[in-house]
Amino acid sequence: MRKYVVLILLNLYIGAGYSYAQNGRITGKVTDQDNAALPGVNVLLSGSSQGTATDGEGNFVINAPASGSLVFSFIGYVSQTVAINNRSVIDIQLTQESRSLSELVVVGYGTQRKTDVTGALSVISTKEFAQQPVTRLDQVLQGRATGVQVTQSNGSPGGDSRIRIRGANSVLGNNDPLYVIDGYIGADYNLLNPNDIASIQVLKDAASTSIYGSRGANGVVIITTKKGARGIKVTYEGQGSVSNVIKKFDLLPAGEFAEIVNARALATGSTPPFTEAQIANYKSNGGTDWQDLVYRTGRGQQQQITITGGNEKTTFLVSGNYVNQKGIVENSNFRRLVFRTNLNTQVNNKLALRFNLSGAHSLNHNTDGGGALIEALQWAPTTPAYGADGFPTFADPIGSVSRSPLDNLYDRSNDATKFNVNAIGGLNYQLPVKGLTLDLQYAVNYLDGQNSYFNGPRIANNVPNAGRYSSDQVTLQNTNSLNYNVTLGNHSINAVAVLETQQYTNKNFSANATGLRFPQLGYDNIGGNSAASVASGFQKWTLLSFLGRVNYAFKDKYLLTAAIRRDGSSKFSPSNRYSVFPSVAIGWRLSEEEFIKNLNIFSNLKLRGSWGSTGSQAINPYATLSSYNTTYVAFNNNSITAGVIQGNAGNMDLKWETTRQTDVGIEMEFLNGRLRLEADYFHKNTKDLLLNVSIPNYAGGGTQTRNIGEIENKGFEFSIGGTPVQGSRFGWETNLNFSTLKNKVLDLGGLPRIGTGTGAGGGMSITNEFMLMPGQPLGSYWGLNYLGTFKPNEADEAAKQGRVPGDPHYEDVNGDNSITTDDFKVIGYAFPKVTGGWNNTFTYGAFTLNVFVNGVFGVDKLNYTRAGAMSGSGEARQFLLTEIRDYYRPGNEDSDIPAFTKTYQPFTQSSRFLENGSFVRLKNVSLAYNLPSALLRDKGAIRIFGSATNLFTITNYSGPDPESSNVGSGTDTAIGIDRGSYPNAKVYTLGINLSF
Amino acid sequence: MASISHLTFHIEYKMKKINTFLLAALLLSGASCKDYLEEDTTGLLYGNNVLSTQDGLESALTGAYKGLASQWSRGFIHPSANAATLGSDDVTTHPASNKADWREFDQFNVSTTNQRSNAVYNGCYKAIQGANNVINNYEKTVGDKAAIDIIVGEAHFIRAFSYYWLTRFWGNIPLVLAGEYSADLLSIGKSTPEQVYELIVADLKVAETNLPNNKRDPGRPNKGSAKAYLADVYLTMAGWPLKQTDKYDLAAAKAKEVIDNKAAYGFQLLPTFAAVFENDPASTGTAEAVFQINGFTSGDSGNSTYGLTTMPGEEGGWDDMYAELNFFNNFPAGPRKDATFRTEFGLSGTKIPWQNSLTKHPYYKKWYIKGDISTYQASLPSVMMRYAHVLTIYAEAKARGTGGPDQAAYDALNQIRLRGRVAGTKPLSAADGLTAARFADEVVQERAWEFACERTRWFDLVRLEKVEEANANKSPDDLQPIRAITKANYWFPLPYSDTSLNPNLN
Repeated sequence: MRKYVVLILLNLYIGAGYSYAQNGRITGKVTDQDNAALPGVNVLLSGSSQGTATDGEGNFVINAPASGSLVFSFIGYVSQTVAINNRSVIDIQLTQESRSLSELVVVGYGTQRKTDVTGALSVISTKEFAQQPVTRLDQVLQGRATGVQVTQSNGSPGGDSRIRIRGANSVLGNNDPLYVIDGYIGADYNLLNPNDIASIQVLKDAASTSIYGSRGANGVVIITTKKGARGIKVTYEGQGSVSNVIKKFDLLPAGEFAEIVNARALATGSTPPFTEAQIANYKSNGGTDWQDLVYRTGRGQQQQITITGGNEKTTFLVSGNYVNQKGIVENSNFRRLVFRTNLNTQVNNKLALRFNLSGAHSLNHNTDGGGALIEALQWAPTTPAYGADGFPTFADPIGSVSRSPLDNLYDRSNDATKFNVNAIGGLNYQLPVKGLTLDLQYAVNYLDGQNSYFNGPRIANNVPNAGRYSSDQVTLQNTNSLNYNVTLGNHSINAVAVLETQQYTNKNFSANATGLRFPQLGYDNIGGNSAASVASGFQKWTLLSFLGRVNYAFKDKYLLTAAIRRDGSSKFSPSNRYSVFPSVAIGWRLSEEEFIKNLNIFSNLKLRGSWGSTGSQAINPYATLSSYNTTYVAFNNNSITAGVIQGNAGNMDLKWETTRQTDVGIEMEFLNGRLRLEADYFHKNTKDLLLNVSIPNYAGGGTQTRNIGEIENKGFEFSIGGTPVQGSRFGWETNLNFSTLKNKVLDLGGLPRIGTGTGAGGGMSITNEFMLMPGQPLGSYWGLNYLGTFKPNEADEAAKQGRVPGDPHYEDVNGDNSITTDDFKVIGYAFPKVTGGWNNTFTYGAFTLNVFVNGVFGVDKLNYTRAGAMSGSGEARQFLLTEIRDYYRPGNEDSDIPAFTKTYQPFTQSSRFLENGSFVRLKNVSLAYNLPSALLRDKGAIRIFGSATNLFTITNYSGPDPESSNVGSGTDTAIGIDRGSYPNAKVYTLGINLSF
Repeated sequence: MASISHLTFHIEYKMKKINTFLLAALLLSGASCKDYLEEDTTGLLYGNNVLSTQDGLESALTGAYKGLASQWSRGFIHPSANAATLGSDDVTTHPASNKADWREFDQFNVSTTNQRSNAVYNGCYKAIQGANNVINNYEKTVGDKAAIDIIVGEAHFIRAFSYYWLTRFWGNIPLVLAGEYSADLLSIGKSTPEQVYELIVADLKVAETNLPNNKRDPGRPNKGSAKAYLADVYLTMAGWPLKQTDKYDLAAAKAKEVIDNKAAYGFQLLPTFAAVFENDPASTGTAEAVFQINGFTSGDSGNSTYGLTTMPGEEGGWDDMYAELNFFNNFPAGPRKDATFRTEFGLSGTKIPWQNSLTKHPYYKKWYIKGDISTYQASLPSVMMRYAHVLTIYAEAKARGTGGPDQAAYDALNQIRLRGRVAGTKPLSAADGLTAARFADEVVQERAWEFACERTRWFDLVRLEKVEEANANKSPDDLQPIRAITKANYWFPLPYSDTSLNPNLN
């Protein structure tokens, strides 16, 4: 390899030497503040057109007169002019420019200088997370951009994260932002190697997102992957981690548990199941700690290699990334392998071609949490983990009626694999008209999804079953754009016109079998079983779009952006098929005005405002049609017969859900960028809300999708960044951001309220856990208000309800002496009111310390995991947490933990199990050390780093993790429910990064 | 759109004509976009033509049965209907544990969100929607007339069966005849039991005509099933709330038709009571079943009325339902009592007598799976009516109807009594001098013993207005109503899931 580098250098040398033989040969290396090599820096002989650029290691060779001077320039860095002064070696360090001024940001279908941007967008530079052991994009986004809220809702390796940009607009639809990777719209960020990221832009206001029209309403995350650079550079990074559960529930020891079970049996007229001898035995020998059996120390590794190279015309990047993580719950793990090749070639001075190919394979094994985590809190500590036969105890005689935590862990498999190939080819051609370029891009995305499950004879009660679901998803995208850039005196114009098509097809099938005759074959050979069912399906949607945008700047001071997109979608009936999404934005760079310049305070000051509309076609294809589903009925004892049953009712009148957003923002920079402030206020209004409205069961049940109502999101976003210390050895960069969000349902098409929920409660909820009501926000918990227990002096009131003192006392809202759903009301809110992040980077010589804190405030969580262990309902027959020690009994009437009575009626869907979910978390601390380059004889760089994730959490939440919840990341109507959700872990990582 | 891609590639080569081509491309795409956005419904089963073939109609009928047979969520292959009939004096539940939703029935405090009764409600209405769809569309179906008639007969039977359960549990209910959703259903009002029974009788009459003598499958009705249900419906109509006492004669006559033709319909009173509850998953049911809903342990088709739900904690059971103390104590000894109750617990080794057990109650052996398998589901049927029911319907209806009990009525009752009681029990006869009313009461009492924990006793108590009386006779060691029972407790409040969507149901 070194040979190759030398060859290239030689080549350069000969080429350059031939032209400027009369000059002296000058070599050198260009680095940044961190002594990292800067490739691609332009090196120009001042006052001439002679120049070169640095190679992959930051080296350059140029022939220049000894008396001349060299100009070093690079986007994002302060240009330097250096007199040669007879030197033959010139090493220089470029400092970064006050970064936002010259930064180019990628906006949809083009780039813009950050200074010219009129919309609200956040840029996350790779520097901000370079020191952290990230394996996925969501870890990068968390807390680093205002208005972006990332919740690691499933703490399992490879688990889901909920990412929201400026709140949730849609009740029904997916509120995930739109991910655009290298122009491919709708990419899956889970399958992206974060080391391949060159830049991340988060588009937030409608002026920025309306260019994505019907898919822009949730904000857009634009990711550009790295390109190769001249010369050969190899980077390897390896890291290993260990992880542990952050916190466990406090469970009763077996002896004490047995005493409490006996006390309850006596109080309710049953026979105490435990003898004194048994209790004494439990007290001296202990019982089963189910949590200990379920949790373990997780381990993980990530291996990463990137090779870049090329010559002046053609560059390449090849990278590979392998992640293997064993989760903190036994028998759960995640593996991912990602490859990427990015090729760029400048065919001639007009034509450039590009081709990006990435492939990924991932496997999630039992990362759904669920059964084992719930049962660990419902199985009695008095029940032994294993029977005399060496197998896990099959049934718990005292605690849960459900299967053992161990059988939940080991007698089932739930495997999801994804195989994804994404190919993007494009050409960019400079047309004969000056400033006019044509860009054509074709993208193919292939996703092969395989979900397989197996439930063994124990977990499935001697009826082992298994099945597979396979889907073949192909998305084709074609984007044709014309870009026009012109500057005429004080006027600069950038315009783009695009025609884009996208088409998605999903062909799937599934096969299921029960009563497996050969359960040892798992899901890998399910033929030959008596009860098998098969299904296949086909789905397709198409989207056809025309769009255009004009950016206009006058004197670089007054900025205007206007954009429009027209989308047509196959999901709607012909009369509602098209919708138009316009936007307009203005900006005023006050810092360019003389009167501001004269103040000598601001290095940048910009005011901006925007208005625009975006859409959501957040419905599945065919929602306009009522269709049948397949079902199976047994007419005898040994077979099933297939039939059809009416599915959800269709609605021909469905149309686009539209969000209108207004944004005003101010950007300020002081002290040449050492202090930066940015503030935004936004107001979003979503109308023709798509809602799945419940249909009464007498009319067939299920739901119907309708356009009903209106919802509002508004909030402030602040970001304060700066470089408080900028010394030669010690430096401190800090960035604090926080966002407020207020969500309100304005109208529900005349309906007083609509219940929503996803059944995440698993037997704990008796009706929808959330209620949409005009005037209330999304995510309003619906339940009973728990007032504590009936006290002795409330005996009469209790009697009216058929209860006795010590029984749960719920607010009888309608005063009819009967606790029913008529007494339900809004008892809490599942959406945080304020979220924030604080990122700090300290440098001291070759050390870099990164400290990242994030916080979520003003949010309630419904802790159904605790309810399962504390209510004696659903599958759980007893109370298992130490808090039961304080139960109501004579002499302890102050307690609000219900007494042991025959008239005990628990409602878990109540404020009794609603907890404050606010938290502040030390999300990441990492320390990196760059080996002195002298030690490596300038042949490369070695960095050693270590980090700790989720080291420290301040919260009142009683569960293991305030961040995790049960509901998938797409929906927002039922967030905040914790029912055995897979908690986040404390992770310690050590790693090394080598480049040469 | 292929034309566009082709064109755009062209552009690359013919740069000079770029503008012309691009314009053409844009225009072309505009022209072809209509097709591009056409929804591709390949693979979607929808529209009226689904039921236009005999196979389609048959599939829709199968789907209608699903409402009656979806484990835990809908219908009768789980103990939901048993839970909902806990207000009778034969069954009770655990005073603590996780049985709050079961206790609501035993303590007469049923909430609008009770998941047990709602599973019956939701299932019956889903079955009704499917049956309506068949009934409303079969005339357009092309196929074998005889086969279609049977399909239609079964659909009418399913609809009648479902409405019968609904109106007995909820009284005034929405009467839906539509096979698919339409917006006007959102404001439908409630119909009275009288209106509902009118439809039930009409449906069963169609079923009676259309259905063959032989069941197509063990889990389907035949002509005899329709007649037997018609008899049961008449018996119920004669009591509370309709009190159309003229229906006793119709009930007796219809039951007699079944008794007289039992061989043709394949019905039989098994020689021993124990044989009825052998509960062998290898067998697909017995000849005593007049109508049964089958279970098969696949997907959500396994029957969870058997096994853990009625087993005691000592055997890994769930203690969901077990016998009331006075009911057990008064139960006449004999082979029936032995086959009905489990009085010693323990699957191996030591047996614990019920008096010393955790809950201190005897349990129902009737719902044990053969071999005392400790599991929550089995490939066993939920027998919704037995031939023994038909015999007692006849006996009671004849006694309460014109002329009082005849010899056939005595014979019917004696068949049940003698099979159930200790050997040597004397048959009842006219010579015993019972009044017609007294004889009818004997039948009702015999039904209590015979059909203990079979979702029968509650409806007998309701139609005869004896719920209060029966509950007053409970043992003080059993759960008590939390408030005085009134007629309002004879029906459950309509589910919140539906009343919250349609104010006209309140």
